[in-house]
Parts: sequence; structure tokens; C-alpha cells
Amino acid sequence: MERTDHPALAARLEQRVFNEPADTPADLRQAMGQRAAGGPPIAAPYDDIARQIGEAAYRVTDAQVATLRAKMGTERATFELIVAAAVGAALERWRKGAATIAEAVK
Amino acid sequence: MRLAEIDRGDSLKSRLLIRFISMVSGMRLPDAARVAFYHRDFLGPLGAWTQATMRGPSEWSVGERELMAAMVARWNSCAFCIGAHRATSAKGLGKATVDAALADYRTAPLPAGLVATLGFLETLTRTPESVTAADARAVLAAGVSQSALTDAVAVATVFGVITRYADALQFAIPTEAEYDTAASMLLKRGYA
Repeated sequence: MERTDHPALAARLEQRVFNEPADTPADLRQAMGQRAAGGPPIAAPYDDIARQIGEAAYRVTDAQVATLRAKMGTERATFELIVAAAVGAALERWRKGAATIAEAVK
Repeated sequence: MRLAEIDRGDSLKSRLLIRFISMVSGMRLPDAARVAFYHRDFLGPLGAWTQATMRGPSEWSVGERELMAAMVARWNSCAFCIGAHRATSAKGLGKATVDAALADYRTAPLPAGLVATLGFLETLTRTPESVTAADARAVLAAGVSQSALTDAVAVATVFGVITRYADALQFAIPTEAEYDTAASMLLKRGYA
């Protein structure tokens, strides 16, 4: 059966969200992703919402998004950082899952 | 929806598309689709991976993959995504089976390999640091191939992204009838 090249698709997503040019600086997107994946605290106001998106996004509040929106100045930049946090938390699970499967079949 | 620009579309083309699809389908275009039309250059690779994972070649049926998506949404408490993928998986697996799985997948009438896989995905979603090679071996011992388990982890990953931004942006919750219409669109058109 033909297979989907998940590692390549995951790498493409990671490259676009964290490394390529966008409205926000790449290092800020990386910091959001790392914090949401359980990394150490980052500067305010990014820390609060990045941690919240990683741990329990359903508890994100209007005020947290409004604070980030006010800091970033545009909705596109706000969107990029929210997505970066979501992708950071999820790709951490992808790496963990793929490594665990590889270890299981060694 | 907490960002108004996503709600209305960020280009003339998107705005016309949102209006056109809403008119043809007879319902407000769900926020998941509005996000897919927004800042496409940034989120395009997620759409490509989601489409390949949910509709590309796999030992899992589309209904089974949609059930995995619904379960990830449940574990992440994402109300919008539970409704969307419950409705979509129900078209393949039947509503009673999907609702039984959402209540408790361990006792639902599902194949043993799928139940074992959902157990692995639950640990990976809720407490990724605690997942072990023994957990993966248990799934393989239940008759699931390495590539099928990898496909399932990809489902959990893309919905690990989608559930998070759906809740952070506070997607509006459609009615049951609208979810059903959207499920048919999702099966026909896919995610890309």
C-alpha cells in the first residue's frame, strides 16, 4: 500500500511556521512554540497565552487574546503566534509518538 | 470568533468565497473553513498534511480517522471539533458507534486494534511525557501495523494543532443540522 510521508509533511509545517519569513519574527514564533510544548517561561505577554494554548486551549480567554492583539498591532500577527503555540505543542507530541514507535520496533 | 478579520475574510476572493459557500450550503460557513481561507501562505502546510492524513492512503478507513479526530477533540475538550468530527465519522461508522466511543471507547463496539490505538493516542494527547515503547508494542501486538500506528499519530498531531487554535480563537458552535451539512462537505471536499 502507498504510504503518506508524514515526516516530510511534519518538517514542512515546522519549517513554514517557525523558520520562514512571516509578519512576526521567527524567533518569537519559535519561543511561542517551545513554551506551548512545555518549555521554560518567556516574556510577557506571550508567556501566559502560549502556556495556556499548550496546556488547555479551551481555557483561553477573550482577555488573553485581546492582550496579545494589542501587543502585536494586527490580527495576522496575532494569528501567527496563536498558530505557532498550537503547532509547537502538537509537534512535540508528533516527535514523541514517532520516537516511541521507532523504539518499539527496534 | 475572536479575530474579526478571519470571520469576514482577508481578501476580496476569500470574502466572496465565504459568501458564496454560505449561500449554496444554506448555512454560515464554519470557522474551521474560514481559518483555512485566512493567511493561506502561513497555514497551507497544515492543510496539506491534514488532507494527506485524513484522506490519503492508510489502513484506517476515513470514518475511523474521523473518529480519532473526534476523540482527540474530546481529550482536548474542544467542543467545536467534537461536533464536527462526530458528525463526519458517524457517516462512516454510524452514529450509535461513534457516540459509544465518545462515551467510552474501551467498551464501544470497535475493532480491538482501533481501541488499542485510541489508548495510545489518549496518552500521547493528554500526557505525552508518559508514553512508552511498551505502550506502542501493545498496539502492535493487537495487530496494528507500524505504518497504521504512525498514521494515527499523525491524526492526533494535526488535530492537536486544530483543536488548540479552534479554542484559542473560540470557533462558533454550529447546530446539529449544520454540523451534518458540514460533515457532508468535509467528506466531499476534504481539508486542503
